[in-house]
Parts: sequence; C-alpha cells; structure tokens
Amino acid sequence: MTIQEAGAALRAKKVSALELTDESLKRIAHAQPKLNAFITVIEDSARARAVAMDAELSRGVDRGPLHGIPIAHKDLVMTRGIRTTAGSKLFSDFVPGEDAVVAAKLNDAGAVLVGKTNLHELAYGITSNNPHFGAVRNPWDTERIPGGSSGGSGAAVAADLVFMATGTDTGGSIRIPSSFCGTVGLKPTYEGVSRRGVIPLSLTMDHVGPMTRTVRDAAISYNAMAVHPSGFVPRADTEVRGFRVGLPRNFYFDALDVEVAAAVRAAVQTAAAIGARVVDVDVPDIDAINTVGRILLLVEAVSNLRPHLDRRGDFGADVLALMDQGRMVSAIDYADAQRLRRIYIREFSKLWSQVDCIFIPSTPTPAPKIGETTMQIGGVTGDVRLATTRLMRGINVLGIPALALPCGFSKSGLPIGLQILAAPRQEDKLLKIGAAMEDAMGFAGRTATVK
Amino acid sequence: MTDWKKIGAGLEPPIPEGDVDKIVGTLEGLEKSFRPLLRSIPPGADLWTGPEEAE
Repeated sequence: MTIQEAGAALRAKKVSALELTDESLKRIAHAQPKLNAFITVIEDSARARAVAMDAELSRGVDRGPLHGIPIAHKDLVMTRGIRTTAGSKLFSDFVPGEDAVVAAKLNDAGAVLVGKTNLHELAYGITSNNPHFGAVRNPWDTERIPGGSSGGSGAAVAADLVFMATGTDTGGSIRIPSSFCGTVGLKPTYEGVSRRGVIPLSLTMDHVGPMTRTVRDAAISYNAMAVHPSGFVPRADTEVRGFRVGLPRNFYFDALDVEVAAAVRAAVQTAAAIGARVVDVDVPDIDAINTVGRILLLVEAVSNLRPHLDRRGDFGADVLALMDQGRMVSAIDYADAQRLRRIYIREFSKLWSQVDCIFIPSTPTPAPKIGETTMQIGGVTGDVRLATTRLMRGINVLGIPALALPCGFSKSGLPIGLQILAAPRQEDKLLKIGAAMEDAMGFAGRTATVK
Repeated sequence: MTDWKKIGAGLEPPIPEGDVDKIVGTLEGLEKSFRPLLRSIPPGADLWTGPEEAE
C-alpha cells in the first residue's frame, strides 16, 4: 500500500490510523530479529498518536496526505523525548529536548512516528554494519548490506514496515540504500530540507530527504519536509513528451556491473519510448569532484567530532580511520577544495542549458555481502566504500537534487537503481520524470518479503 | 614525501603510530588525486560560500 492509497482508505473510513500503526508495529516486531532496521521502536506513543490522529479526522481536521501515516526517522534526526543515538556510542544516552525541524514538520503534517532507524555509525559510511547497534540487513537478501548510511530506513521501507522513513545524504546515504533496497530516495537541493536538529556529519554537504516505495509518495513526503514546498505531486498520467534527458558519454557508465549497465540503458530506452528526447552529454571531471568531496567531508566530519577526539575507543574502526584521515588534511587543502568546488559547480551548471535532467546509475553494483571490503566490477577489484560512492559523492559537492529509484532486478533478485539529476531547486522536474519512468518501468512499490 | 607519522604525533591528542600506518596508503592516494587539481585554480579564485552558488 502506498501513502496515497492509505490516505484514501483512511478518509473512506476503511482503515484507521491506529490499525495502520498496529500493522506497522506488528511487521517491525516480526522483521526486527532478521533486519535489525530499528534502534528504537516507540509502540505506546505511536499508538497514542494514531488515536489522536483518528480523533482529529473524525472531527473533520485533516492535516493532509501524511495524516495518520506511520513513518520512521533515521536515528540521526533529533526527536524530543526520544533517544537519538546517531548509531554511535557517543550519543547512546542522548535524549533531545527538541525536535529537529524536519521531525516537527512531519509531526505537524500528521505523520505517526513509530521508531528510529539504525544507520552506519555517525552516518559516516555506506554499509550500516554498525559496531554498536548491530548490522542492518538487506530485506532482499539478509546476507547483504542495505547500503548506508540510511540503511535502516531503506530496509524498513523496502520491507513495508513503514510508509516513509527520513534519510540523510552526505555522499550518497539516501541514494545508496535506495539503490540496494529497491526504494525511492530523494536527495533534495542543498538546504532544500532543513538540517537543523539533525546530528551533522558535513557542514556543507549534508542533505535530508524522504525514502519511500514510490515517487509520488516521495513527492508527498518532500512537500511536508521542504523549506519551500511547491505542493507538486505527479498526476497518474504524467506526460514527459519532449523532456530532454541527458545521457553522459563519459565517466558514469565506466566500471559498472554488466546487469546494472543493461538495466540503466534499458531505462534510457524507456524514457525515449515515452516521448523524452535523449541527449548525449559530456560531464565535467567527476573523479576530480569526488576527490574534492572527500577532502571536504574528511575535514568537516572531524570538525564536528572534535569534542570527542579523546574517546578513540568509542568509535568503530572504519569511522576512526576516517577521522584520523581528516585530522591529517591541512587547512590550506580544505580551502583550496572549496575554491575548486565553486569552479566545478559553475562548469557542471552549463549542462542545464542542454538538458532537463541527467540519467545515471545509482550504484555500480547491486548490494555487496555484509563484511565485504572489496568488490569486483568488470574484473577489477575495488574498495567497496569508494566504488559505491563513486557515482554519488560528486552530487553532494554540487548540491544539486537527485532522485534514486529502482530500474530493475539482477538475476539473483537484487534491486538495481537509476539516479536522475536535475538543476538546483528543480525537484518538481525530477519527481515528474521519475513518476513517468516509474509508471513505464513497472518496478514501483515492490516490497521484499522478510522470511 | 609527507611524513604522516610526524604529523600524527604532533596533533592533540596524537594519533598512535600504528593507526597512522593504517591510513597512510589512503592519504597518499588522496594526495596523488588532489595535488594536480590545484593547478587548475586561477589566481584569486573565490571559495564556495553557500547554496546561492549552486545555480
């Protein structure tokens, strides 16, 4: 069931918010031992909130499409009176006194919070193999990672435990789990959704956005979360005739798993079949932009964690290594990286005169196995973290919006992700082409069965 | 050649030598990727200062 369908059922009195919430809690209880998608589940307050939302609807108070809909927050999003750990020992007892802005907005929109999702420690990694709260498992194959850092959110949405979960994305952390879990993830334009009250990783590259099972549900959720919502939700018969879809000739189709390359190329053909005009484009040096992104992230993350540098034993090995790397980068290099960033943003923005959006793969492979640190792509062995963020990181440097959605499944049944990019503040355009593609491809809303 | 161990030892708190050993390869790879990019910065190039630049 989608948010739109649940909303219709609620208003037709075919189901109550309490029934939706009870079902969500039942599914979480069943799936938690297998997926470990949640750090905290708040049964009693979720039920109380659902009862209150039902009472409002019966009085004629309707807060909109998220009214009475069970959701989850990544446990990086501060929630008043509810423990917010960031997946870290540093914050294991932290109970915020206030909601993050995004949590308050979703609360105002009538959503029913059922819990906080597990994540990569401090949102600083892509596996969600958390040393303090346990590994999150991919619902399509529990031997595999869900991606990260918003891995619990991806797993929870893919397994149909909640209708929507919040994610954050500093170098792919919404889009990677969306790719590996077969969900839809929207990384908005930088500062399109407030970061206030979200425990920071990078001061200039953190983004907050929704993870859902359909593009239209992402649109509904984004409207409730955004700083400047347009209210746009793609219609059932969304038309994209004449839409200019950019297809990069360089970088983005190098070093891909064969099945991923085929699925994304098939998606491009689908776009053409529904009337879009495919335009070949040459993108700027994405390797260079990724390198700049690594410098920025290393320094900004360690700047945030500076008060905790004497607690080395409280960090997992991978996060500690990244913190140590960040401490080794000079201030001059950081400043020069920010100079380069400005140059690259200007170069990349020239593409928007040629195309409305750009189609690229989300991740170069389907989900790797838990514990794997290297992976084979096209006969070449690479580091899992660097390979998985290769098609992602630069987008955070540029600050442009990106939509990840499923575009196929591998022979072994793992989701494959398409990523669509657009110019800053063109989320509506992204959602429009995304919805049209979702309708045409037919992979929307598939859920993983947790055995 | 950057003396990473010396840098690590000079930080407060210092990074233990054994932990520096674990990241030297990554740091050298990053330097190798980053240093050539600096040649493309024109004199007087401004820093990125915020989202208004993402236009």
